[in-house]
Amino acid sequence: MGNRNGGRWMGEINGHTVLFLFFGILTCLFSLAVVFSANVVRMAFYLILALAATSGLHFLAGADFVGTMQLVLYVGGTLVLLVFGVMLTAQNPFISLRTAGGDWIVAALVGGILLVILVPVAFQIGLPPQDAGDIEGLTQREAVASSEPVSVPTATRIGLGLLGVPGDDVSGYLLPFEIISIHLLVVLVGAAYLARAKRKVVVRQESQNIAGS
Amino acid sequence: MFDLLSQPVGLTHYLIVGAVMFVAGAVCMATKRNALGVLMGIELVLNGANLNFVAFGSNFLERNPAYQLGLDGQIISLFVIVLAAAEAAVALAIVLNFYNNHSTVDVDRADELKG
Amino acid sequence: MESILSNLLLLAWLLPLASFCVILFFGPRLGTAGRGAAFVATGAIVSGFALSLTALILWVGAHGISGAHHADSADTHAADKALSPDSQVAVDPAAATVHLVAADHGDAHSDSHGGDHGHGRVGPKVAYFGDWYTLVDFDRLKITIGYYIDALTILMFTMVTLIASCIHFYAMGYMHDELHDVTDHEVTLSNGEHLKRPGRYCRFFQYLSLFCFSMLGIVIAGNIAMTFVFWELVGICSYFLIGFYIERKSASTAANKAFIVNRVGDFGMIIGLMALWGSLGTFSFGGEKNAAGDIVKSGMFTQARAEADHYALKTPEAMVESARQMGAEDPEHTGHVLLIVAGLGIFCGCVGKSAQFPLHVWLPDAMEGPTPVSALVHSATMVAAGVFLVGRFYPMFTPEVLLTIAIIGCITLFMAATIAITATDIKRVLAYSTLSQLGYMMFALGVGGWVAGMLHLITHAFFKSLLFMCSGSVIHAVHTNEMTQMGGLRRKMPITAYTMLVGCLAIIGAGVPTLVGLSGYYSKDAILAQALHFGKNNAAWDVMFYVAAAGAAITAFYMFRLWFMTFIGQPRDPSRYDHAHESPRVMWMPLVVLAFFAIFVATPADIENFTDPTASPMVQLLEQARPDGTGIDFSGQLAAVMMPAEHGSHDEEIHWAAGMIAFGTAMFGLLLACCLYWWRILDPEEVRSMFAPIHRFLRNKWWFDELYDAIFIRPTLFCGRCIAQFDRGAIDWLIDHLAIWMRSFTTGFDRWIDHLFVDGLINWVAQRTYALGIWLRKPQTGRLRQYVVFIVVGTMAMYLLATFGLTN
Repeated sequence: MGNRNGGRWMGEINGHTVLFLFFGILTCLFSLAVVFSANVVRMAFYLILALAATSGLHFLAGADFVGTMQLVLYVGGTLVLLVFGVMLTAQNPFISLRTAGGDWIVAALVGGILLVILVPVAFQIGLPPQDAGDIEGLTQREAVASSEPVSVPTATRIGLGLLGVPGDDVSGYLLPFEIISIHLLVVLVGAAYLARAKRKVVVRQESQNIAGS
Repeated sequence: MFDLLSQPVGLTHYLIVGAVMFVAGAVCMATKRNALGVLMGIELVLNGANLNFVAFGSNFLERNPAYQLGLDGQIISLFVIVLAAAEAAVALAIVLNFYNNHSTVDVDRADELKG
Repeated sequence: MESILSNLLLLAWLLPLASFCVILFFGPRLGTAGRGAAFVATGAIVSGFALSLTALILWVGAHGISGAHHADSADTHAADKALSPDSQVAVDPAAATVHLVAADHGDAHSDSHGGDHGHGRVGPKVAYFGDWYTLVDFDRLKITIGYYIDALTILMFTMVTLIASCIHFYAMGYMHDELHDVTDHEVTLSNGEHLKRPGRYCRFFQYLSLFCFSMLGIVIAGNIAMTFVFWELVGICSYFLIGFYIERKSASTAANKAFIVNRVGDFGMIIGLMALWGSLGTFSFGGEKNAAGDIVKSGMFTQARAEADHYALKTPEAMVESARQMGAEDPEHTGHVLLIVAGLGIFCGCVGKSAQFPLHVWLPDAMEGPTPVSALVHSATMVAAGVFLVGRFYPMFTPEVLLTIAIIGCITLFMAATIAITATDIKRVLAYSTLSQLGYMMFALGVGGWVAGMLHLITHAFFKSLLFMCSGSVIHAVHTNEMTQMGGLRRKMPITAYTMLVGCLAIIGAGVPTLVGLSGYYSKDAILAQALHFGKNNAAWDVMFYVAAAGAAITAFYMFRLWFMTFIGQPRDPSRYDHAHESPRVMWMPLVVLAFFAIFVATPADIENFTDPTASPMVQLLEQARPDGTGIDFSGQLAAVMMPAEHGSHDEEIHWAAGMIAFGTAMFGLLLACCLYWWRILDPEEVRSMFAPIHRFLRNKWWFDELYDAIFIRPTLFCGRCIAQFDRGAIDWLIDHLAIWMRSFTTGFDRWIDHLFVDGLINWVAQRTYALGIWLRKPQTGRLRQYVVFIVVGTMAMYLLATFGLTN
């Protein structure tokens, strides 16, 4: 504490903090770029960058597995899907649809108010308590949190948690896991159904073509 | 500024970044007329929330020990990622269907179900 | 002994019930066309007779025939009482004099009669009583199925089952028409044809069994409530059997009449029951016993005639007590009145059941039933139930009540006898004869002749059922009831004719005076002797003796009128005469059996004392059953009447006089009948025209039906019509119009309510809902981006609400 109070100007530069600021600013910038960009293709690009930067934040928070998944699934899977969508619909009139000014004002107002609400909340619950000496009353999970952080790979524990084995700081998630998997299957089937070509129309057109010829 | 660099990263930092992403996503959904733009906004919103989950579950951040999710936060954010993928797949299928039927991706034109 | 007797009689009693149930459920399937039903019913009643006879033999074996061994103690008892008048100080003075008189008579009697056979017995009589089954037991009210067995019970059992057995056999022959489909020639349908219906052989025997069960139930009943139940059962059986040919209007009305008239009597009986139970707190005759057999509550008889009072009738303490509770000024007097009311009430029921004077009208009409029914129900047993109950209840009757009974009986016997003179329907003559004889019994009981009345009950049962069955045999042969269409049948059906002659001789009391006679001789002589004795003691009422004697003459006249018209002379209707034939054996065998009993049932068995009527075993047995304390003189408190002890009537002088008078009157009647209908010295037509007004008066049964029609039925109908008119004119009108007004008012009101509130509310809700929908429609723009804004705004609103709204 003395260190922090005394060295306002000569405080050691924290590498962790620097990296966080880098990725954080990157994330915010690209997110805003997505908002303010009018071209849908560019929006997709900025989004990729924003999400990739987010994965960096995940790593910095010690969530190595989640960060990896963020990269693999989001950046590598979901956004590629979006890009496909962009490419399939990217015809001239739709690449940059203009939004009315009134909508902008309303959205900005609402978004601003939301931000004004969220940021104070972040300060309110994010800061450590001023009198952080009372450790005896903490639960086991809180005790883990207050102890010195140790960088341990999380993948094994997450896998066990998903298989329903509760650990020190993880509960069993077998049932949600199963539900999610079923859900995924249903979604894939549904998506395939929704997105398939309309065979009937094709057949009719072919028959018309045959009749015409 | 140096102070900003030297002090350890706290929960607040993450929450602020998450909030910015969230708000950006929400504004994106509210302003983009292109259906794909709306989808991108959704992704931003989900990521903002995800970031918060991870931050709450992290051991490496300065924070109030009362708000501690542990690995549960990471598992939930994994679920969110998976659900987002599923959502994206379905939404994209819907968008493509809409595009096939109406030859447009303007969400303002999709108001046939209005009251 | 008690358990053997009670079980024997229980079995004899329940066998007809079993037969009834069997026939009820399986009747038509027993043999061809239900022929087996008759065997079931007959078997049951014959077994019952065998059991009753066994019980009688056991009884005689245990207690002997005569009550002689009581005689000494009785006389000493009386002497004791005479010597210690102090003991009667507690009793009212009248009772005290009674005992003195009794003692005198007892002494005089034992002097004059060396071989006194139990007369004047005052010691306790032998009676077994107890309960088989308790129906309900509230604290005060206990209703049981119980028994009260004394010599009278056993004699009645034997008599009833014997006669019923004979009648069952007889009915097997008489009712054989009912085995197949019957065409009833007396019922004409609207299309002019006669009614055709299936036979009712089974049903007939079913009712007979039920009737026997009910009658035996009255006889064995150990308490007055049980008596009342079976009393009503007998009534309903009588209703069924009178209305057996239900399609005939006359039969159904006769059944209704019998039932309704009996209700009048039963109303009085219920009043009597209420008076008894309300004051005495028990229904039981002898007393209520606990499981160990000790008497826990003394019965009605013991309350009225306590052993401590030497069985003298005294107003029960309980009645005086209840009178006191009612706030009577003179509880002794009011309690006595209560006792009189109870006695009169019970007698009222007996008047209905035994068809005594005011309520006698149903019995002649009841002849609409089949003749076996008449024989069983309306001559020998059911109407005897009333007399039996008077006899059973005798200890409770005060002299005032007994005087009433005597007057009623006297009126009945004379009136019915006179009506019988002019009746031409053979069964109606017998019906009025029955009425008359029942009157004799009541009269005998009323003048203090308990044994005489009971003896006449038994002898009459035999010869009257015999007479009825003979008449049934005649009707069976000639297919008519009218004596004017008969005549000379003696040659065609000799057995019937001579058995009926025996019955006629028995009923007129034929015999050689002071020597020997048929059964009726003994009973009627005893009645007349007691009546004479009573008349000597109560000069104000001696006219009743002469009425009874006149009744005896009339009895002789109409009975032989009947016999002569039916069996003697030339046939009046040749076609019917040619058709006639003797009845089948199953029908005449019972006649012979009954004729035997009609002759010998009261004959003295003791050869040495053959001329002494009291030496008859029947009389001796009845003497055993005489209620305690009724063998002595006693006087009434309210009315100036003195009931003479019965043994006084055996006094040589009285008995000789009575016997001579009875013989003379009977001979007079018989000779008159011979003159008119046999020797034809006098022409009945001339006599009739000479006494035309009297004939018309008698022919119309003293105008009783018309009288009741005028004073009861017409006013009732008039009231009914008035009330009906009032109903239709006033009440219906009022209600109709009220309904109309109410309807129009409610219609309007309802419509108003509907429109204003119900419809209005519904419409208002619908309009509001619609308006709300329209209003809510506006945010539903279908614009996706707007929805996003709404979501965000909603989130913020919720946050703000949670932060500032709820936490505060």
